[in-house]
This record gives sequence, structure tokens and C-alpha cells, in this order.
Amino acid sequence: MRSGRADKADVLQGTLILLVLRTLEALGPLHGYRIARRIEQISKDVLQLNQGTLYPALLRMEQGGWIASKWGASEKNRKARFYSITTAGRRRLAKETEDWRRMSSTIERFLGFDPGSLAEERG
Amino acid sequence: MSWATVVAARLRGLFEHKRVERELDDEVRFHLEMQIEDNVKTGMNPAEARYAALRAFGGIEPMKEIYRERRAFALVETTAQDLRYAVRTLRKSPGFTATAVAVLALAIGANSAMFSVLNAVLFRPLPYKAPEQLAMLWSEDPSQNLREGRSAYWNVEQWRSQSESFADMAFFDGVSATLTSADRAEQISVVRHSPSLFPLLGVQPLHGRIFSAEEAEQRQRLAVISHRFWQTRFGGSFDAIGATIILDGAPSRIIGILPADFRFDNADVWEPHTMYPDWEALRRARGAGFWAVVGRLRPNVTIEQAQAEMNTIARRLVTSSQRNRGISVVPLSLHAIGPRPRLALWMLSGAVFLVLLIAATNVASLTLARSASREREIAVRAALGASQARIVRQLLAESLTLAFLAGLLGLLVADAGIRFILAVKPGNLARLNEVSLDPYVLGCALALCLLTGILVGLTPAMTMARRDLRPSGQEGGRGISGGVATLRTRRALVVTEFALAIILLVGAGLLVRSLWSAQNVDLGFRPERVLSVSLAPPASTATAQRAGFYNHVLEQVASLPGVESAGVTSELFIGGNPERVVTAEGDARPVSERLRYRSDELSEGLFKAVGTPLLRGRFFSDADGPDSPPVAIINEAMARQLWLGRDPAGKRFKRGPEQTASPWFTVVGVVGDMRRQGLEKDPIPQMFEPLAQNPPRRAILLVRTSMDDPLKMAGAVQAAVRRVEKYAPVNGVTTLESQLGAFLTERHFQTSLLIGFSVVAMLMAAIGIYGLIHYSIAMRTREIGIRMAVGAQAGEIFRLIIGEGLKLSLTGLVLGLVGALWLGRAGSSLLFGVTATDPLTFLTVSLLLTAVATAACYFPARRAMKVEPIVALRQE
Repeated sequence: MRSGRADKADVLQGTLILLVLRTLEALGPLHGYRIARRIEQISKDVLQLNQGTLYPALLRMEQGGWIASKWGASEKNRKARFYSITTAGRRRLAKETEDWRRMSSTIERFLGFDPGSLAEERG
Repeated sequence: MSWATVVAARLRGLFEHKRVERELDDEVRFHLEMQIEDNVKTGMNPAEARYAALRAFGGIEPMKEIYRERRAFALVETTAQDLRYAVRTLRKSPGFTATAVAVLALAIGANSAMFSVLNAVLFRPLPYKAPEQLAMLWSEDPSQNLREGRSAYWNVEQWRSQSESFADMAFFDGVSATLTSADRAEQISVVRHSPSLFPLLGVQPLHGRIFSAEEAEQRQRLAVISHRFWQTRFGGSFDAIGATIILDGAPSRIIGILPADFRFDNADVWEPHTMYPDWEALRRARGAGFWAVVGRLRPNVTIEQAQAEMNTIARRLVTSSQRNRGISVVPLSLHAIGPRPRLALWMLSGAVFLVLLIAATNVASLTLARSASREREIAVRAALGASQARIVRQLLAESLTLAFLAGLLGLLVADAGIRFILAVKPGNLARLNEVSLDPYVLGCALALCLLTGILVGLTPAMTMARRDLRPSGQEGGRGISGGVATLRTRRALVVTEFALAIILLVGAGLLVRSLWSAQNVDLGFRPERVLSVSLAPPASTATAQRAGFYNHVLEQVASLPGVESAGVTSELFIGGNPERVVTAEGDARPVSERLRYRSDELSEGLFKAVGTPLLRGRFFSDADGPDSPPVAIINEAMARQLWLGRDPAGKRFKRGPEQTASPWFTVVGVVGDMRRQGLEKDPIPQMFEPLAQNPPRRAILLVRTSMDDPLKMAGAVQAAVRRVEKYAPVNGVTTLESQLGAFLTERHFQTSLLIGFSVVAMLMAAIGIYGLIHYSIAMRTREIGIRMAVGAQAGEIFRLIIGEGLKLSLTGLVLGLVGALWLGRAGSSLLFGVTATDPLTFLTVSLLLTAVATAACYFPARRAMKVEPIVALRQE
């Protein structure tokens, strides 16, 4: 299992994992190109994905047991590798999602806070 | 995703590097093609589309580099993590670790030591050129139960000239000769052999040369000496070549020295086959003889082909006196280690391997017990995202770490075991002295470690992995739900342990009964308090004076205080498979028959000294002198063979076929059979002639003393011999009992090893069932409490627990007994005086193991009886 320290040192990687897991959970088995396109579509121009970096990330996730891969036929009947989320992957996604929500709400509050609310909390 | 596919993926990463690379290429190409197509659809021209796709993808080679690194790193990283974690976990429970490592170290060590014996004795090829082409050729006679008979010169020459399968044949015979030096004389072991022997084996002398066929034909007295003889007699000096030694009173010239690793029959001196004084007569003899024959097969000829050809030759050579005469071809490796020692080795290896299995089972059961209490830890780790595969891997890493620690310690155990085996030298296994801790043994130890690690780790790991880990995490500390699966597996493990233990116990029981039968076999003589000394008259003594020498020695010895009786015989114990054609007078005309047969010369008092009873007729007397007609005493076996149902006294027989010139012997008495080939071999026909009519060159003096330790008389007896002849060689001082004991060394060794193994197995099985019952009670405290609360008596609870234990042990017992019956058949030739299905043994060991199982369940059951219902109910 991965220690927390390694995760924090690699935030972008962690985000990518979250996005891939979420994509696979929502759409079922996909090949690498579809995953990349999906992430680009959803994030529009906000996230700049270097498509190539997806593959080492997929490898790492497969090594972690969160996703599984299988060779199959693509929509145009070409050989492609399909990735799907595993039970462990769903657990990981749930945890990542929760972590992310907690983190973003904390940061939200932090950015949105004014001296008054601080006093209130002290109150 | 199952753990198996993870392991498979991992292995693929290791071993299918190329395929993984190709798959990555395919994947990247597919990605780019898809992107290009999509780009074209949006209206780009092909070149633009391609360029855009490549740009969007980023650097391909750097990505692949990262991919590869990650693949390699993940393997190392997770393995290192697994190992670190394993070591940490094991350190946290030093008691468990120490027990498991000790148990496994003993088992791995014992197995490695056993393998070193197998390796040296069975697996390592014989130290000759192309040893697989070498085979022994024996005369056989199924009607006489004669399997490995030696052959006469004439027959060997016929085989050699007629056979196409063999490139060449050589023959040899081991004899004992008197080596005389300035101040003493002693017996040494000499091999007489045809000149073709060394070239055939592919052995070159270390120094000097080997005699030629011409020299052998001219009967030149030449000697080739062993490396050991060279070192001890000549201090390794080159003066040895050309030196003269006196063998049986005649000088022989040393012409060569053999290499140190050449050990064959353990002989010191090698001389031409023509050295027999009566060679001219031997040359003409047919049929049975004393030559052992070794042949070298032509390339690409199999043993079976050679055997088929020799069968034809045997039929061609059959004469009237040689009915049923066959030839058997036995690979030399099979001859060096016969079927029985082979079987014994495999039996012991199997037994020690069973011990390893039991040890591994026990440790697996312990690990499971521990894993049940570690359920929470594992559930937490699973909740944190560790995949099942990863958890299995980690448990396996733990057991492999255990196994390798045990393996390191086990090497020490193996080393000690090898030293022990070399010190004990059980039996006379050829090549046993080559046993060592060599790379093969290390390799075997490594394999055993891996196997043990997997055996120990797999069951717990699979049990844990199959289970859904989440609920037990929610359940809190007791972990009962998961415990049931664990318990089921542990029950199966305990049944296995009992099954394996009973197999070992049955084996040990049968061997104990065999040993007991062998020790109590009727020898036909009484060995207690008898001193045995080899002696020989000085080599120059003429035939007539030899009898006088023995008589004077007997007179001198008989007059010693403490001597009850004494006798002289040419040999007491018989080696090899002696046989001979014998012609006996029947009711009508004489009948010639080939017998397994042995003849010896002895003094009148010998039978009295060893306590062999006279059944009919008379013993020898002074009247049976050199000038009176030849007389003989025969044993019961011979009487049965030649004159079944008739009184042999007064009947006549002679050695050889009817027309030979050898004299007729008149039977004057019949004595009881003596077991002279060892305790476990049925006596063969034997005849004895009076010493006075044919005094041997060497003899055994047997002295029945009044002392419990006859060796105390050794000095006085030797002095008595020296009073008769100052320089007579007197050696080989021992007792009959210790000589008989030597026959049992191998059996003693096998039996005590197997007893040791089975006791260990039984204890482990007992510990296994104790731990299981203990654990099951701990889990069922609440159930027991409820039962008691609704009125169950303590006795019922006790019976419930004992019943659970007995059910498991009896299941194992029955399975094991079936296995033992099956294995017993295969090993029955190792038994003596007991059948492989001996009901007494089966019953005894079953009762013993059941008693042990009951005792092991008794203590936890007692505890269960004392459960307070209130406490038990409140516990939850």
C-alpha cells in the first residue's frame, strides 16, 4: 500500500488517477485514447493533459490493482487495450473523492474566509 | 481482480519483457491512429492531423522511458516494501517467529542432508568413462533363486566372443591374501582381474602402467596398487614402482599406482586373473565360477537389447548340467547401489519429506491462527486501498521470509546431519563417503525454502483473500465471522497432519517389528561370549603342517583359563552368492545339480564352540585324518536339497559334475542350519570337511569364553597363538556378537531415523490439534456459555470438545492408514519377519496416535468445562 507521503508529493498524478477512476466508473471499460479524450472534453481547456503521460499513470494504477486491462476489439474492430475499474479501484475512488471534497472545501473556506467569520468561530 | 492475475502480470513483467514492449508500442500506435482519424474528421489534411496528434501526445520515447522505469521500479519497490513489512511483522512476534523458524530449519536441514546422500549415492554418475554404458553380467538360475551368480572363465569367454551388444567385457574376483613384511603378516584385499578391466572402465593409472594381456597369459606376478596402499605403505614415494611385495608367500612386482578417486571393491592390490594356483584347471571350468563380469555396451545399444541378446546366448550355451541357466544384464549404477538400499534411501527421503510437509502444515496452521487475530489490521489495510492481491503477496512475503531464515539455519542443520551420517556410516552403502554440502545440495535447500514458504503461506493467504474483508473490520476485535473460514482450513490442516503422521508411524512400527524379528531370529548358533580371531600359518608352511599348526593353536587355547571350548573354521560368515554343481548319489544313479552352496573346513570342536546342534550322525573325530576316506558334515538345508525325506548319513556326493575326478565325500553327520550370510538371509546348503583332510591357508579361531566380555581374552589368545608360531599373522580380533551387530547397523540406522521422524510428526500433529481445539474453544466461549446456561453438564461440554478433536484425528488416521497400506506394499522388501499389512502394527500405532490426540485435546477441554456461563455471555 502506498504511504500518504508519496501521494502528497505527487498531487498532479493523484488528480489524474482520480479523473481516470471517475471516468472508468462512469463509462465502463475504455481504451486509453477514449479516456484521454473524455478527460479533455470534461475539463475543456482548464486542464492541459499531455496524452502520453496517461499511459505510465494507467500502468501504475494497474499495478496498484485499481484498474484491470484486457486486449479487445475497438469500435472499428481494431485491437485495443481496454481498461476497467476494479473493486479496489472503486474503494480508492471513493476515498480519493472524499479526500478531494474535504480538501477543496477546506481550501474554499480558507480562501473565502474573512476576519469576521474567524471571530465568530472563536465566539 | 484476483491475486492470481496480479502474480501472472508480475511474472509477465519479469519474463516477457519483449511482449510488454510490443504491447506498449501497439497501444501507442492505436492511440495516435485514433487521434489522427479524429483530427481528419475535423477537417485537417493527413499531414496536419498527424502532426497535431503527435503534439497532443507529447514525447513518445520519454513516456516509454518513464513507463519502463515504473514497471521495473514497482516490482522492486513493492517487493522491498513487502519484505520490510514482513520482517517488521515477524519481529513483533518473536515467539511465533522463533518457533516457526526452528521447526522449519530442522525440517529443511534434515531434507537437505538426506538429499546430499541421495545425490552422492544415487544421482552422481559413477567416476568412469561413459558410466551409462557399463553393465554387470551375472549368471542366474531361477530354480535356485540365484540372481547374481558368478560365472566360469569358459562361459565369460563364450559371452565375450558371441556378443554383439558389448564392445568388451572384463572380469574380476576379490580375494583375501596374506601380505608379509619383515616383521609381520596381515590380510589385505586383492582383486584378480582380466587385463581388459581398466581400459574398459576408462581408468588410467596415476603412475606406472597396467599389466598387458601377454603378461597375464604368462602368469607374471605383477601388482597394481591402490592410492591408499601407496600412501600408507610407501608414503607416496615413487620408489613404490618396481618394488616387490610378498603376497601369500610369493613376490609380486609393483608396476602401477591407481588414482585416488578410483575405489572399486575397496581393494589394495590388483593382479592378473591368472594368479590362482590352480589356474589351468579353472580355465577349463564351465558354468558356475567366481568371476564377476562387467561389460561396456556399444554406443546406442540399450540394456534391454543387450539383455535380449544375452538370453539367446544363454540358451545356446545350456548343457545338461546347466538347466535354467540365464544371464542377467544389470546397469553398473544399479549394481553399485542395489534395489534394497535404493528403496531404503527413497523410503527415508520420503519420510523426511513428510516431516517437512507436517512442519509446513503446522506452521501454516499457526500462521492462520495468527492471521485471525490480525484480521483487523488486514481489514484496515484493505480499507486503505490495499488490493487483495497485495495482501496475499504480503502474507506470502512473510512466509517466504520465514522459510529463508529457516533455510539459512537449516544449512547448519544439514551440515551437522552430513557429519553425523559420515560418522555413523550406516551399512555399507557405496559412495557414502562422497556425501558433501555441494552446490546441488544448496540448490535443493533453496528449492525446499521456496516450497516451504509457499506451502506455509499459501493456505493462510488464500483463506484470507477469499474472504470479504470489510465486515470483520466493522465487527470489531473478535473477528468471529472470518474465524469460521480460518477454522475450516485449520481443521483440514490438522487432518492432513494426522494422516501424514500415521503413515510415518506405521512405517516406523513395521521397521521396529522387522528389527525385532531380525534380532530374535534363530541363528542356528549361540554368538554370546564367543571371541573371533583370524589367523593363518606362516605362508611357507606346507599343506601337511598347516593342520598341525591349527591343532597346536587349539591345544594352547583350550588350556587357557576362562576358555570353555574352541574351534577353527575356514570362514564363519559368508559373503556373495556362492554356488556350485554338486553330484549326489541317489537311490538309483548319481544326480548332478547346481546348488547355492558353500563348503568350509573346520576342526572337530567348532560346532561345540559355537553351539550348533548335531541332528543326525556324528561329529568329526581323530579318525578322519588326511589318509582316511574324505568325510563331510552337511547342514539341514543341503540334506533337504539332495536327499529330501531320506537319511543322508552314509550317502556320498562330490563337487562338480559326475565325471570329474574330484573325490567322493561320505556324509557322516547333519547339523542345524546356521545363518551365515547375515540375519535376514535364509541359510543356503553348506558342507564341512575336517580340517585335517584339507587344512585352509587362513582360518577363523572361535573361542567360547566364560567372560561376559570375550575381548578380555584377546591378549591371552594372541599370546597362545604366538607360542605356537612367533610370526603367524593374528588379527581381526572381534566378538561374534559385534560381527552380528554389524549386520544390523543399516537396519538400526533406518529404524531409529524413522522412529525419530515419526515421533516428531506425532508431536507436531499433537501440537496442531491442541492449538486448534484451544482456538476453537476460545471462539466458542459464548456458545459453551449458552449451552451451560440452558443446562448442559460440564461432562457434556467435555465430551463435545474431545469428540471434535477425535473426529478430526480419526479422519486423518483413516486417510493415513489407507496411504500407509498403499505405500507399505511398495516398501515391503525392506521388512523382515513382518508383512506390510501387519494388523498388530497398524492397531498399535493407531491407538498410540489416538491416545496422543486425546491427551492433546484433554487440557483445552478441561478448560472449556470450567467456563462460567455468566462470564462467557458477558464477554460479547
